[in-house]
Amino acid sequence: MSINIEQVTKLYQGVPVVNDVTIEIQTGEFFVLLGPSGSGKSTLLRALAGLTHIDHGRMSLHGRDVTELPARRRGVGLVFQHYALFRHMTVANNIEFALRVRGMKAAERRQRRQELLQLVALEGYDDRYPSQLSGGQQQRVAVARALAHEPAVLLLDEPFGALDAKIRVELRDTVRAVQRRIGMTTILVTHDQEEAFALADRIGVMQMGRLLEIGTPENLYRHPATRFVARFLGAANLFLGEVSRQGLHLGAATLTPDRLMPQTTAGAEAVLVVRPEDVEVANDQDSLQSRPFATGTVQMLTFAGHQQHVNVLLDEGSGVETAITDGSRPGAAVSVDVLRSAAEQVATPLSVGARISLGVRRLHALPTPISSFQILAADESAASALELSPLLSQLVRSMQARVLRHRMGELRADRLDAGICVLTLNSDARAAVIAAVAQGARRVLCIPPHAPLPGRLWVHASDAARRSDLLALVSSVMRHLPIEACAVTLQRTEASRREVIDAQRTLHDTRADLRGAHGLDLRGERFVGDLHAWLAHVVAQPEAALVVLGLHTAQPELTELLSGDLAALFDGGSRTAILFAVTESS
Amino acid sequence: MKLPTTLRAIGRPRRQQILPGFGLTMGYTVTYLSVLVLIPLAAAFVSAGRLPMAQWLHLLLNPRVLAAFRLSIAASLIAALVNAIFGLLIAWVLTRYQFPGRKLLDALVDLPFALPTAVAGIALTTLYAPNGWLGQWLAPLGIQVAFTPLGVVVALTFISLPFVVRTLQPVLADLDQDLERAAETLGAGALTVFRRVIFPALLPALITGSALAFSRALGEYGSVIFIAGNIPLVSEVVPLVIMTKLEQFQYAEAAVLAVTMLLLSFAMMFLINAAQLSLERRHQAKR
Repeated sequence: MSINIEQVTKLYQGVPVVNDVTIEIQTGEFFVLLGPSGSGKSTLLRALAGLTHIDHGRMSLHGRDVTELPARRRGVGLVFQHYALFRHMTVANNIEFALRVRGMKAAERRQRRQELLQLVALEGYDDRYPSQLSGGQQQRVAVARALAHEPAVLLLDEPFGALDAKIRVELRDTVRAVQRRIGMTTILVTHDQEEAFALADRIGVMQMGRLLEIGTPENLYRHPATRFVARFLGAANLFLGEVSRQGLHLGAATLTPDRLMPQTTAGAEAVLVVRPEDVEVANDQDSLQSRPFATGTVQMLTFAGHQQHVNVLLDEGSGVETAITDGSRPGAAVSVDVLRSAAEQVATPLSVGARISLGVRRLHALPTPISSFQILAADESAASALELSPLLSQLVRSMQARVLRHRMGELRADRLDAGICVLTLNSDARAAVIAAVAQGARRVLCIPPHAPLPGRLWVHASDAARRSDLLALVSSVMRHLPIEACAVTLQRTEASRREVIDAQRTLHDTRADLRGAHGLDLRGERFVGDLHAWLAHVVAQPEAALVVLGLHTAQPELTELLSGDLAALFDGGSRTAILFAVTESS
Repeated sequence: MKLPTTLRAIGRPRRQQILPGFGLTMGYTVTYLSVLVLIPLAAAFVSAGRLPMAQWLHLLLNPRVLAAFRLSIAASLIAALVNAIFGLLIAWVLTRYQFPGRKLLDALVDLPFALPTAVAGIALTTLYAPNGWLGQWLAPLGIQVAFTPLGVVVALTFISLPFVVRTLQPVLADLDQDLERAAETLGAGALTVFRRVIFPALLPALITGSALAFSRALGEYGSVIFIAGNIPLVSEVVPLVIMTKLEQFQYAEAAVLAVTMLLLSFAMMFLINAAQLSLERRHQAKR
């Protein structure tokens, strides 16, 4: 393992800007950290270079722990967006800087410099000053300078950001070629997905300080785990579909997904990703090569060189629902983006207003259990209060998930197992939770009125049987909140040595499961006391929290649990939100 | 009238500018500079020219005048040097750190500008006199500041400080901190980063600032005369000698001294600017 980043956290004014990031990068790998600005990707890179202090975690390069080392002793090469060349030095002196600092002899320095200049195709530029070079040439010099001291890893911080489109592509190819030739382990930070695709062996997508997903470019594009990644890596149509034993239902079509989702129960709701190029358009259903799923009207045609963008407004009653918030009412007409190749354009010419049939060639179902939010409230004002609560509004904003409102008790039972039920955590909450679970709700979020955005997520990890359900929920929440996540095991005061070891192992397993299934990391903590005492402790903390717990559907036990061990959570004035993962009693 | 095209092109802006009227503005500029700068300077040369050359030499070789020149130049050089070091430090602290009272401290730097020089002189004298707040502690150590050349240096340092700080501040603020980070990742320690990366980048501005401070110190009169004590051959500066000549109605001699001073400081400025220009040309060569 060439680079090992473990649970690295960086706080800025108490808010994590890099949040429990764990990555392992292979020797010789080209790894791209991709994310929007402010996602923490540059901070992580600078932390790895030793230029930023971190608040938690460890980093090692080639097995050497560098967490405490100053930047100058880490042996990394860093390239900056604005080159950061020493303007009062010639190209030769810039490149030789690291060698001179190390006291290398002039003859050896010259030889190394010549090699490097050749590597970046700038032979003969030795005596120029940076201001005499073009932007692309300056960045080449910067790359050569960063490689001079034979660093353990090469770090590139948006290196092409300041260049023209044409030079950018040219330099991108140079960097890729250089990296291949010398087999240097490299991390590049960018917000440009095209650049990431062109360069990366693997991509790590960051948002809000969290490493959302890691994978090869193709895997992330074809099988994203989150709405954010689906939409950040190119255009995507996101629909709400239903899962049954026959497969996935999207509008009129029943399809088998590219890859089956883990632990999906029949009748559940799922978020379906359909890339614009995977939608087929034909004048009538019979001409479609793929599964027809809806009909619609061409709304807009846009010329894009060898491709054509088509925006199609689906007919009402098509049964296709969008999975993202776009301000439209449920049941409103949905539009679909289609990308057509030149061949398709010739085969089926289209004009605005044309009636067409749509088929889907390929689709992917997101593994997230949070397909939508179903607010259960006594009246409209209570529902609005819930929707405006910091926790729910932040979740909705960063997930872009749909929010549907229902009057308490009026919800159709067959819709309750879809997404997450959201309730107000007041004196009636206990009864509401029991009623919802009885009607089939499988994920219930209770938000106390006036509670601030939780800064910490606690998951009770003791129960191994329900761990995968819990962790699926936890990972969805972690990816979309700037929150510190922590798994807790409980341990009796007079615990035996055996029990202590078991508790430690549970924490270890929880971390391993979360990393294995979702690529995320969290902290572990042992609490001495029972469930009741722990929850009382959590509620008493000054920081608002979100507790994730597992529940069984069995009636008497549920009632007893809610008014017994979980009593502290339902007491008036609590600022702690609760998220229940409910499993069938067996 | 028909002018050759090349002549007509002179002074015409290459592209349409927002404010028109090159002719008018250039006319004002020339008139303004002439009335305010060139004519008085020319007058000084004319007055000086009334004295025969032999008398020039005689006047300038007078031990009292020579001592005054020596003191003026030496004290100004020392003051500029001291400010180059501490001005850099102050500029660094003001641009690189955020702390409560930073704005106040920043405003304080301008005080030597704003204060009437005589007030500064009197204040410094009160402080450094053998029975003053600071002087009483220095006296037992055998250090006398007021009424000695040291006092002259103190006064000149005081009044020329803002020049260095204000010239360095914008340059420091614009200095890309990625340069330091780059040097650090390349293996440079703090000292090397300063010596090889930061200092060379600041040097042109530092030279400009110090040159400004030097020329300001050279001509300073108001604050020096109080603290210097003005003892001939010991603590008398050139502006004071000129003043004395004027009071004795020896206008021509005063003019000779003034012109000499002018030429000296002009030569000094020229040298410093030339050095600085060559530095800049080397680092920021034309594209």
